[in-house]
Amino acid sequence: MNNPKIQCVCGFGCGSSLMLRMAIDDILKKHDLEADTFCGDVGTCLSNQCDVIFISRELSELIVERAEVPVVVIDNFMDSAEVEEKVLAYMNPAA
Amino acid sequence: MEELVDINHIEAKVEAKDWKDAIRKAGALLLNSDDIEEAYIENMIRSVEELGPYIVLSKGFALAHSAPCPEVKRTSVSLVNLSEPVEFGSRNDPVTVVMCLACKDKGDHMEYLQKIARKLMEDNMINRLGSCTDTKELYATING
Repeated sequence: MNNPKIQCVCGFGCGSSLMLRMAIDDILKKHDLEADTFCGDVGTCLSNQCDVIFISRELSELIVERAEVPVVVIDNFMDSAEVEEKVLAYMNPAA
Repeated sequence: MEELVDINHIEAKVEAKDWKDAIRKAGALLLNSDDIEEAYIENMIRSVEELGPYIVLSKGFALAHSAPCPEVKRTSVSLVNLSEPVEFGSRNDPVTVVMCLACKDKGDHMEYLQKIARKLMEDNMINRLGSCTDTKELYATING
């Protein structure tokens, strides 16, 4: 099976999305899970191929109705407990 | 210790009357060193007006930034804490620590930005940055 592709989205794909991506990478590593993560910006993220989008609450409102993949909303990008819970919920839906 | 943020890009106990003023004052540190043009500061403010206060990434911390553009001459970062917190209209208000990030190119200096992100994600780092009482202490905390 191919690794799931996780797109981390912020306004421009270079600032806060990078922090979110690092937080997600840390969680994946900690739990020995494999996924490909990359950064995107809110303007173009819907045209990037991916399996799920992780995004802040404010920005999610701009894309959630048009998104064709699941959108996971993160309130606090630097709260590793929140990111961990939401990454694990996505990676292990049955758990 | 590896320097992540230049001492000239750090200021403690900045007085800001509102969130825009906080971004302008943090951005002024990058303007003073000629890393950005003034238009970039207005871009950072417009980004919040257009996209909402999503730059308030965690309790008390705003990462002001805008898209890479010609008004950024050099990728750089500034850091201030505020004498009185300001409201951005975010669930993570009030904000005491403001970092300005100016990226010259997308994907540029990723390694540097990752180091800064790693530092900010250390336990209790935002509270520690918020409670620094002078610029030297703030410098030592972010670069420590």
